[in-house]
Amino acid sequence: MDRDLMRQSLNFHGPSLLSLLRSEQQDNPHFRSLLGSVVEPARGPPPQQQLQGRKEKKVENIEIQKFISKKADLLFAVSWKSDAPTTSEVNEDDEERYAVMPPLEQFMEIPSMDRRELFFRDIERGDIVIGRISSIREFGFFMVLICLGSGVMRDISHLEITALCPLRDVPSLSNHGDPLSYYQTGDLVRAGIKDIDRYHEKLAVSLYSSSLPPHLSGIKLGVISSEELPLYYRRSVELNSNSSESYENIMQSSLGFVNPGVVEFLLGKLGIDESNPPSLMRGLQSKNFSEDDFASALRKKQSASWALKCVKIGVDYFKVGRHVDAMNEYNKALEIDKQNVEALVARGALYATKGSLNKAIEDFELALENCPTHRNARKYLCQTLVERGGQLEEEEKFLNAESYYKKALALDETFKDAEDALQKLHKYMQKSLELREKQAEKEEKQKTRKIETSAEKLRKLLKEEKRLKKKRRKSTSSSSSVSSADESVSSSSSSSSSGHKRHKKHKRNRSESSRSSKRHSAKASSNQVDQNKKDECFPVPANTSASFLNQKQEVEKLLEKQDRLPYQKKQVKEKDRCPLSSSSVEIPDDFGGRSEDPRDFYNSYKTQTGSSKTEKPHKSERHFSSRRDSSDSFYRNSEDKIKIYGYRRFEKDTEGRKEHYRRWEPGSMRYSTSPASSDYSWKSVEKYKKYTYSGSRDFSRHEQRYQLNKNQGEYEREGNYEEDIKTEVPEEGLSSKEHSESGVKKNLPQNLLNIFNQIAAFEKEKGNKPKN
Amino acid sequence: MEAVGPGTCGGGDAALGAEGRPAPEARVHFRVTRFIMEAGVKLGMRSIPIATACAIYHKFFCEIDLDAYDPYLVAMSSLYLAGKVEEQRLRTRDIINVSNRYFHPDSEPLELDSRFWELRDSIVQCELLVLRVLRFQVSFQHPHKYLLHYLLSVKNWLNRYSWQRSPVSITAWALLRDSYHGGLCLRFQAQHIAVAVLHLALQAYGVEVPAEAEAEKPWWQVFSEDLTKPIIDNIVSDLIQIYTMDTEIP
Repeated sequence: MDRDLMRQSLNFHGPSLLSLLRSEQQDNPHFRSLLGSVVEPARGPPPQQQLQGRKEKKVENIEIQKFISKKADLLFAVSWKSDAPTTSEVNEDDEERYAVMPPLEQFMEIPSMDRRELFFRDIERGDIVIGRISSIREFGFFMVLICLGSGVMRDISHLEITALCPLRDVPSLSNHGDPLSYYQTGDLVRAGIKDIDRYHEKLAVSLYSSSLPPHLSGIKLGVISSEELPLYYRRSVELNSNSSESYENIMQSSLGFVNPGVVEFLLGKLGIDESNPPSLMRGLQSKNFSEDDFASALRKKQSASWALKCVKIGVDYFKVGRHVDAMNEYNKALEIDKQNVEALVARGALYATKGSLNKAIEDFELALENCPTHRNARKYLCQTLVERGGQLEEEEKFLNAESYYKKALALDETFKDAEDALQKLHKYMQKSLELREKQAEKEEKQKTRKIETSAEKLRKLLKEEKRLKKKRRKSTSSSSSVSSADESVSSSSSSSSSGHKRHKKHKRNRSESSRSSKRHSAKASSNQVDQNKKDECFPVPANTSASFLNQKQEVEKLLEKQDRLPYQKKQVKEKDRCPLSSSSVEIPDDFGGRSEDPRDFYNSYKTQTGSSKTEKPHKSERHFSSRRDSSDSFYRNSEDKIKIYGYRRFEKDTEGRKEHYRRWEPGSMRYSTSPASSDYSWKSVEKYKKYTYSGSRDFSRHEQRYQLNKNQGEYEREGNYEEDIKTEVPEEGLSSKEHSESGVKKNLPQNLLNIFNQIAAFEKEKGNKPKN
Repeated sequence: MEAVGPGTCGGGDAALGAEGRPAPEARVHFRVTRFIMEAGVKLGMRSIPIATACAIYHKFFCEIDLDAYDPYLVAMSSLYLAGKVEEQRLRTRDIINVSNRYFHPDSEPLELDSRFWELRDSIVQCELLVLRVLRFQVSFQHPHKYLLHYLLSVKNWLNRYSWQRSPVSITAWALLRDSYHGGLCLRFQAQHIAVAVLHLALQAYGVEVPAEAEAEKPWWQVFSEDLTKPIIDNIVSDLIQIYTMDTEIP
C-alpha cells in the first residue's frame, strides 16, 4: 500500500472516507495496520475552512468516497503506479505528434499573482527557461522569462519574472574581451535554472549545459531565434491575441490531434502501459490472466495438433504407397505449423525414400533443431547422411563424403554404418592417395631423368670432344681417313649452318636442306618432328611434335627456365671433369632424351645472341664467356678454338634465324611454305645449335653420323649443301668472314679450313647485298 | 459522436431496477462486455478497438431485444468488426479460440473441423447482422484521445511531485476502459466522459487543481464548454454504478 497516497486522499476527503475505508477494507490485513497509523494525522489539524467548503460537496462526495473505499486496495496499490518511464521531452515540437495546447491556466484565467506564486513553487533547478535580455550589467545580464523549455509548461509571459545570469555562467565565445559583449538587450536566450530563491522570488540562470539534468544535456543554451520558441508558447501567444478560442477548438484544429498515432504517443508520454492495460474491475486484472489463454498460445497449440493430424493422414497415405498424397499432407502440415517436428521427420523420410537425400537431410536437421531429442529424426538423419556419403563417394567427392560420415558420427557415435563407411573411405582415400603419390613420383622421376639426360648428354658431348681432340692431335696431318671424316663433319656443319641462312630466299632448298640435316639426326635420334606435311615420310614421335608446336607459346616459359639452365650446366660441367666413358651407341638415346632441352638451349642462346647483337664480332668470345659463367670455364677446359668458332657461328646463325623466325611468325604467307616448315628451320637450328654449341666438341659424333649417312647413301646430299652454300650468302657476311678468319688461325684441319674459306668467299660475294 | 439522448438506451437509469439494483439485462451486458474486454486483452487488442467493440455491442442491444440473439455471439462479432473498424485486424480463429477457452477454461483448443467452420460462419453472419442493425454506422468517437490531452494539460499545471505521487493517468485510463462495461459511451459526449473520468481520478487521490478557487473558469469547463457539473456527477455516478456490479458479480 502506498501510505502517502492514501494519506493524501484521506486528507482531502476527511474522516468520512476513513470510516468507509475501515468498514470496506477490514478484511484486508494491509489496510488494518495501515489505517491505524493513518488515523492520527488524518484527525490532526482539520482546517475548519476547508471542511466547510467540503461540506457543500458532501453529498456527491459520499458516492465517490464509497467508491474509493471499495477500490482502495487497487487504487493505493504500489503496483498500480506505473514504472513506465515517460518519454523524453526533448525535441517533441519538431513534429507535432499530439495537439500541443496553451497552458491550462490561460484558459482558466487564473490571476497573475497566483500564477507567479505557483511558478516559484513549482520551478526546479535544471529546468530550462527562455527569456529576453532586459539589461546587461558588468556582473551579468538580466532576462525576463517568457516561457519554459522543459519540466512544467506554464504561461509566464505576463508575470514579469526576471532572472539573473551572472558573468561566471556566461561562456565566452571568443577568447578575447567580455563574454557579455556577445549579447544584446532584447536577445532571446535559453538558459538553465541554476538557483532559486523561492522566498524572495529570485532566479539565477546559467548558460552552461552542465546546469541541466543529463537527459536534457543535448539542448543548446544561449541565444535562440524566435522559431525555436516552444510550440506551446506560440500557441499561447495566439490565444492571447484571440481569447475567444476555446480549448476544444484549438485542440480539434491542431494537426497533432488527428495523428493516428496520437493515442500511443501520449500513452507513452504519460506512462500508461497498453500491453498490460489497467482496470479497476476485479475480474479484469490482466495479471490474473493465464498466458495459455492468450490468442497466440492457443493458436500455436491448435496449429500443432492440426498439423499432427495432417501428418497422421500423410503417414497413412505413405503406408499404402500414395507418396504424392502423403507429400501433400506433410506440406500442408508444415504450412500450418512451420516448425512441426513430426511433419519434418515424416517428409524427410519420404524424401529419403524418393532419393532426394539432400532435402531429406535438410528436413531432419530442421526437425532436430526444433527438437534436439527427437529420436527418429536423429536416427533417420544418420542413415540419410551415410547414404548421401555413399553417393558422394561414388561421385568421387571423397572429402564431402567424409564430412557426411563424420556428421553422422557426430550425431550418433554408436552408429556402426557411418563408422564402417568412414573407415572404408579412409582406406580407399589412402590408397588412392598413395596411387597418386606414386604417379606424382613417377612424373617427378621422369622430369629428373630428363634433366639428368641433358646433363649426361653434355657430359658425353664433352667426352666425345676430348676424345676427338686427342684423336685430332694424333692425326692432324697424317691420318687421311680421319681428315676425311673431319671434312665431312665440317662440311656438314657448315652446310647446315649455311643452309639455315638460306631460308629467306630459297624456301624449298632451305626446307629440304633442313630436312635433310634433320634426317641425319632423325636417323640418329628420334626426336625430330614430322610436321604433318604429306610429302614428309619420316616417322616421328608425336609427343615431340606437340612440344614443338607449342614451342612458340612456350617461349616465354622457357625464357624463365633459362635462369635454371646455367646451374644445370654447372653441374654438367663438374661432371665433365670426371672422365666418363661413353659409347657411341648411347648417343641416339641421348638425343631422344633431350627432346625438350634443345629448346631451352636454343632459347638461352637466342636471348644471348639477341643481347650480343650490338657487340663487335671479335669481342664476342669474351662477351660470351663473361656472359656465361659456366661456358666460359668450359671453354678453358676444352681449349678448342673450333668450338669457339662454332659458338660464334652459331651465335650469328641464331641471330639470323631469329630474324627469319620473326619474319615468319606473323605472316608466313610470304613464304611458299607453311608455318610448319618454319618449325623445321627451328628444329634445324636447334639441331645445328646442338651440333655447334655442344657439338664442336663432338666432332666424333658428327663423324660417326656422317659415316652412317654415307653408309645409307645419303651423303651425296652434302654436295648439295655445298652448292647451297655457294649460291647463298649468309646475312652475316663479312662479320662471319671475320669469324672464320679468326677461327682459322688455329690449327684447324685443312679440309675444314677450305670449307670455311669457301664460305667466306660466298659471304664476301653476297656481303654487299642488303639484308632482306 | 452519435447524438444519443441520455437514458434512451444502454442501461443508465433504465438499468436500475425498482429496488435500485441493476436490472437483470444490465447484468447480462456487464458480463458480456467483461467477456469482450477479457477476450480483447487476450487477443492483444488496444484500448480503442476494445472500446469500439463494446460500443458496437451496446449499440446493437439498444436496437435489438436481448432475447433475440445470443449476446456472446454478438460480442464475438463485435470484436471481429471492431478489429476491422479500428484497423487492428483480428482473425476469427483467434476469436473463437479465446472465446472457447473463456467459456470452457482449461479445455483444449477446438479442432478445425466442420463445427469450427460453422462457428466461424456464424460469427461472420452475425457481423453482417450487426452492421445492418447499426446501419453501418460503426465508427465512434471515443473519449480516449481527449482524456490524454486533458491529462497532459493538467499535468503541466500541477506540481510535478504531486503528479508523480498520484497515479492519476493510470487510474483515469482504467476508469475510462471500465466505463465501457455500461452504455455510458452511448449516452454521453466523449469529452464529457473524459472530463468525468479525470475528475474521478483526481478525487480518488485527493489531488486538487491549483488555484481552482481563484480561477474564473473551473478546469473541467475549460476542456468542454458545454459541460456542467451535473453532467459530470451523472457520469461519475453511472461509472460507480458499473463498479458496484463488479463486486456483485463474481
